[in-house]
Amino acid sequence: MSILSVQGLVKRFGANEVLKGIDLEVGEGEVVALIGASGSGKSTLLRCVNRLEEPTEGTVAFQGRTVGAEGIDEVRRHIGMVFQRFNLFPHLTALGNVTLAPRKALGRPEAEVEREGRVLLAQVQLDAKADAFPIELSGGQQQRVAIARALAMKPAMMLFDEPTSALDPELVGEVLEVMQALAKSGMTMIVATHEMGFARDVASRVVFLEKGRILEDGPPSQVLEDPREARTREFLARVLRR
Amino acid sequence: MARRLLTLFLLLAAALVGAQGTVDAIRARGELVIATDATYKPFETKAKSGEGIEGFDVEVGAELARALGVKVRWIDQEWSGVLGSLESGKADLVMAGVTITEERKRKGYLYSRPYFLSGQAIARRKGDGRIGKPEDLRDKTVSVQAETTGQFAVEKLGVPKERQIRFDGIQEGLLDVVNRKADACVGDEPTIKAYLSSYPDLELVGPAFVKENLGIVAWKGHQDLVAQVNAILAEMMVDGRYARFYERWIGDRYTASIVAGLEAQKDAGSPVGEAKALDEAPASRADSAPRSSSTFAFRGDILRAALPRLFQGAVLTLELTALSLVFGVAGGLALALLRLSPLRALRPLAVVYVEIVRGTPLLMQIYVIYFVLPAVGIGLPSFAAGVLALSLNAAAYSSEIFRAGIESIDPGQMEAARSLGLDHAKAMRWVILPQTVRRVLPPLTNEAVALLKDSSLVSVVALAELMRAGKEIATDGGSPTTIYLSVALIYLAMTLPLTWLVRRLEARWGSARPRRALQAQEGAA
Repeated sequence: MSILSVQGLVKRFGANEVLKGIDLEVGEGEVVALIGASGSGKSTLLRCVNRLEEPTEGTVAFQGRTVGAEGIDEVRRHIGMVFQRFNLFPHLTALGNVTLAPRKALGRPEAEVEREGRVLLAQVQLDAKADAFPIELSGGQQQRVAIARALAMKPAMMLFDEPTSALDPELVGEVLEVMQALAKSGMTMIVATHEMGFARDVASRVVFLEKGRILEDGPPSQVLEDPREARTREFLARVLRR
Repeated sequence: MARRLLTLFLLLAAALVGAQGTVDAIRARGELVIATDATYKPFETKAKSGEGIEGFDVEVGAELARALGVKVRWIDQEWSGVLGSLESGKADLVMAGVTITEERKRKGYLYSRPYFLSGQAIARRKGDGRIGKPEDLRDKTVSVQAETTGQFAVEKLGVPKERQIRFDGIQEGLLDVVNRKADACVGDEPTIKAYLSSYPDLELVGPAFVKENLGIVAWKGHQDLVAQVNAILAEMMVDGRYARFYERWIGDRYTASIVAGLEAQKDAGSPVGEAKALDEAPASRADSAPRSSSTFAFRGDILRAALPRLFQGAVLTLELTALSLVFGVAGGLALALLRLSPLRALRPLAVVYVEIVRGTPLLMQIYVIYFVLPAVGIGLPSFAAGVLALSLNAAAYSSEIFRAGIESIDPGQMEAARSLGLDHAKAMRWVILPQTVRRVLPPLTNEAVALLKDSSLVSVVALAELMRAGKEIATDGGSPTTIYLSVALIYLAMTLPLTWLVRRLEARWGSARPRRALQAQEGAA
């Protein structure tokens, strides 16, 4: 049974049609790597899932409930999101970032939330940095805090919007490691990424997006090593040569 | 007639004697400069034609100049600056329905012989039986023109300061009675009479209760000028010119008893001796044109006497500023949030409010709140009206500061907060606003400085804040140089710490370094 069901999703920004009819079912525990060139609509698709962008047409259903304007805050509490540029709250410490939403959105007691927050920071190997402000952390550390922050709401699904694209190459590994551990734990994940290694080794499924349409969708071995579409092959040739 | 002949004889005799200081300078200049405040019927008002001024004083002044053989130039300014223009040398004479008082004489003013007999009159709402005689005012609220003999008379009656409402002009005082903020207005009888036609709800009570002599004023040392003025006045009073002016502007018959009254009081001015005759044709002196105001002197004694009042004024200024800042910043934040609200329908409300307030002068807003709102049943006392006007104003300006501050925060911050399940309000409260605070504090402090300075405008609704206190002291011969310089220094003493704070804040928060203080602030709220 699928946890996420996207049907006939179209998104237009003015005259620019970014998504041209997306159908996508994601099952519980699946790790979906969303690949495709810049501007192919990967980010927009993720942002439509938790309604940071309002779909122009089509429906998104999460855990069997249609995702609409009504009750959106409740839905978002079950969908974690990690951004390319981290978007940590600069006025709060790492721990403050992790505990803010459980405290203020759920009204949970501070001591309990802090205990959990420290456990989460330990999971991303940052227990020593609990009291550091974002500006005192490296990009890789910031992104790991951002992952812990999203996990603090105990989401049923995680969205990653190019989580390593803004990182220096030597910092990419530490973030991917955390994501890999998360995937192993059984978390449902949709990851927009240019990291073909991650797609191949960690993803259970690869979806190739081009110009707002899903061109190819299958297990990594099939999509990455034996693609049916010529354009998938061209794209892979381009990114792998890099 | 005999008097006229005598005067002529004296003038002719003196012509042979020759030179005199001030009068010579004026004649060499070819211009007699008279300061006034043309908001004082029937003595002087703006001419109905829209150009220049007219009134009883204006006609008398023109005759003075004609007799001296020079042109007349009027300086029309606010009453608070009128007497000071003598000391600074900007004017030769003041004609503004000024009452002769011993106190003013002691301060260095020279008076001509009385040229008008006046008195203080009481205006009340029609049929208000509570006020019948001056003593009835003791437990009432009374509006007056600040630093005039009206105010002094009310003080003498025993009306306490907190129940005197002081305005720059007499008309505001009358309006205050109409609006039921004051029970009565006290001022010069002829003036109140002249304005009463515009206020059909008001009436005069009884005869004038303090008799007063009005004189033409000069600065000390100019005895020769005052002597000339006395001589010319004496002529006018008996040759029919005075009678013509009197009947035209005062509207009463110029009777023998008035002539007798003026004659009886002729020594009530300053003792200046007899006038010397004027030269036929004064020699034109190039260096005599504008007299330099070389009378700069810092008077420690006057400052010491003024300090308690200035201090009270400064305290009121701070109270007005602090209260208005609190309300204004709270209102400004609310407006900014309204403007950026997810409910788009509400946004125009904030836009319209801000545009209206920013597009009209603060002075007008103060007038509307104090003088116009009573017409729809909202009568606010001075302090409340002042705080309200300043708060509404500060709200409009600070809302723009908040809006700019909020909009300067990376949109990714709002997205991250919303993606965690925080609703718009909570995301604002816990994520956006704490970051905005740092960015808006420097411009908000600048706004506080502007507010502190703008608070001087509320003096028009009878609040004796610092500027007003200074003005009141300086008005009545308290060395304007000393007073205004001191007022400026006190303002600086209040604003400099604030501007210093802005610079510190900008230096500290100009970089994106977070501060643990903010963490503490976040945790506390």
